[in-house]
Amino acid sequence: MRFLEVNNIKKIFNPGEDIEVVGLHDITLCIDKSEFVVISGPSGSGKTTLLNIIGGLDAPTSGTVTLGELIITGLSENKLSALRRDHIGFVFQAYNLVPVLTARDNIEYVMRLQGKSEDECRRRTEEVAAKLGIVDYLDKLPNQMSGGQQQRVAVARAVAPKPKLILADEPTANLDSKSAENLMNMMQQLNEDEGITIIFSSHDPLVIGKARHSVVLRDGRIETEHETLDSDS
Amino acid sequence: MFRLIAKISWASLKRRGIRSLMVMLMICLSLWGLVFMEGIYDGMIEQMIGNAIRSDCGHITLFAKDYRLDKEITKLIPNAAILETDLRNDPRIKGVNTRILQDGLVATAHYSKNCMIVGVELNSERKNSRLDTYLTEGKFDFGKKSKGVIIGSKLAKKLKVTIGKKLIVSAQDVNNDVSSLALKVTGILRTNNMWLDEVAVFIHREKVKKMLEINDGLTQFSLLLHQQEDIQPLQKELKEKLPSLDVFRWDEIYPALLQSRVMMTGFNMVCNIIVFCIAGLGIFGVMLVSVMERLREFGILLAVGTGFTQIRLMVAIESLLLGCVGFIGGSLLGGISLYYFQEKGLDLTMFSEGLEAFGMDTIIYSVIKPEYFIYSFAAVILATLVSIIIPLRILKKSKPIEAIQKI
Repeated sequence: MRFLEVNNIKKIFNPGEDIEVVGLHDITLCIDKSEFVVISGPSGSGKTTLLNIIGGLDAPTSGTVTLGELIITGLSENKLSALRRDHIGFVFQAYNLVPVLTARDNIEYVMRLQGKSEDECRRRTEEVAAKLGIVDYLDKLPNQMSGGQQQRVAVARAVAPKPKLILADEPTANLDSKSAENLMNMMQQLNEDEGITIIFSSHDPLVIGKARHSVVLRDGRIETEHETLDSDS
Repeated sequence: MFRLIAKISWASLKRRGIRSLMVMLMICLSLWGLVFMEGIYDGMIEQMIGNAIRSDCGHITLFAKDYRLDKEITKLIPNAAILETDLRNDPRIKGVNTRILQDGLVATAHYSKNCMIVGVELNSERKNSRLDTYLTEGKFDFGKKSKGVIIGSKLAKKLKVTIGKKLIVSAQDVNNDVSSLALKVTGILRTNNMWLDEVAVFIHREKVKKMLEINDGLTQFSLLLHQQEDIQPLQKELKEKLPSLDVFRWDEIYPALLQSRVMMTGFNMVCNIIVFCIAGLGIFGVMLVSVMERLREFGILLAVGTGFTQIRLMVAIESLLLGCVGFIGGSLLGGISLYYFQEKGLDLTMFSEGLEAFGMDTIIYSVIKPEYFIYSFAAVILATLVSIIIPLRILKKSKPIEAIQKI
């Protein structure tokens, strides 16, 4: 059994209405544990929609998504919420940090939801912050940080609870090339150190170049899928 | 986790500081006003009841059987001295005032009015019901040979008499003959018990006895108790023990005062409904805007795994903070104001004519009852919880991904 299986996912927006739009056409995809995957393609190709469906944030019109042994499509909102809390980390294009919380509280937030102790949250936050180089910003609010710093906090928030899967939707889109490269290097390092499966959506060549498993979408269909074997495998 | 949720709620309130402050102030000021009104109105009613108890009926009144239906001077309580001693020995009874009452006529050289002759022992009235505190002019004394008379303020005004003026008091005695007494006004009382102020003529009890040719017996026993809770059991006991007498509680003598107290309960309920509406509408407005403005933020929280229960808690804490801060402020201001006017009294002398016409004191001493704060707290809490139902329904319907995509 693969770590993540996407079977015949179809997504129709505004079904039954005059302006019905097919976002995804029968997408089938298999992803192994600890993979570093990028889903690329032009704007409107369905990258974000696919990530949202994989993360349980959106429901497909048909098809199934299986994470480990659990079919997540059709789960109740409460179960999906618990699944996202315990197993999936999100990194959004617009960072989406909670504006009234400091970087530390933002990073600790999901761990607190998981019921981890204050000490454990603090230790883990400092460990991840050190890896991502944001120790100095931990007590700052999001509006006191640059875009690159906010995105690193967002990555820390996604990584800190030790999820099985991280979904990153165009994480470098709002960053300059240097910050983008730094962020990608850090995420690659986290993928190797922590063994977390990471799926990106991006049309940034820098991100695409880092991926070992690349899926190209066009008009809601998989145009090409390419996997690079590790040199040591 | 609760700490973090509370932190988000508090920070969200702080972010919209002016708006939050306005709602808190609105709740605080309305609660202050309403608690103050409740305390003052209750004080007014309690003073009216207190005046009636002190100046006339006590907590319990004894009359001869059917005296109140037909106020004949022959309807007297027999063996009064023995009964008085018995009653004074009851530890529940603080004091006993004994009186002779008879309708009569009071006249000056120019005017005459019907009156109620009240034969009293001034020392007993002073000690038990502090009747002397109602004195507005003259002395609380019948003077040499007890030839003085103390009259109600309105009666004095109608007769146009002042201290030292002569009065002729006439009444029918036990033999159905008319007897009269010439007396000098030694004091004028204002009890704010309308009936007494308009018709009462206080004369030394022994003098009245002699005038009306009463050998034994009294018209009224007025009992003042230590504890309000003893009124009903003692009334029941006395009814069983003294079947030849009528035993009344103060509220049976003055049912209108009891009705006023019941009306106050209704008034207080209306006040709490007003607090509920003000707090509810204020908080609803703020919470609705707050939720609509933060749909994206809530979307992020839902996306990262926050359960709807936690979101509900977050909104509830925010709303409760608004309500509770307003409640604490309003209760403090209300409590302090009521305490001040409980000690100093609220001087309404400028409305004295209107107030006296209704038998009310011109200086009102407020009362403070825990229920003012308990009921308004319940109203505020209920309002905060009701006011978030619609904002929460909006949140429940919104999908995290749609909320996140909102700019």
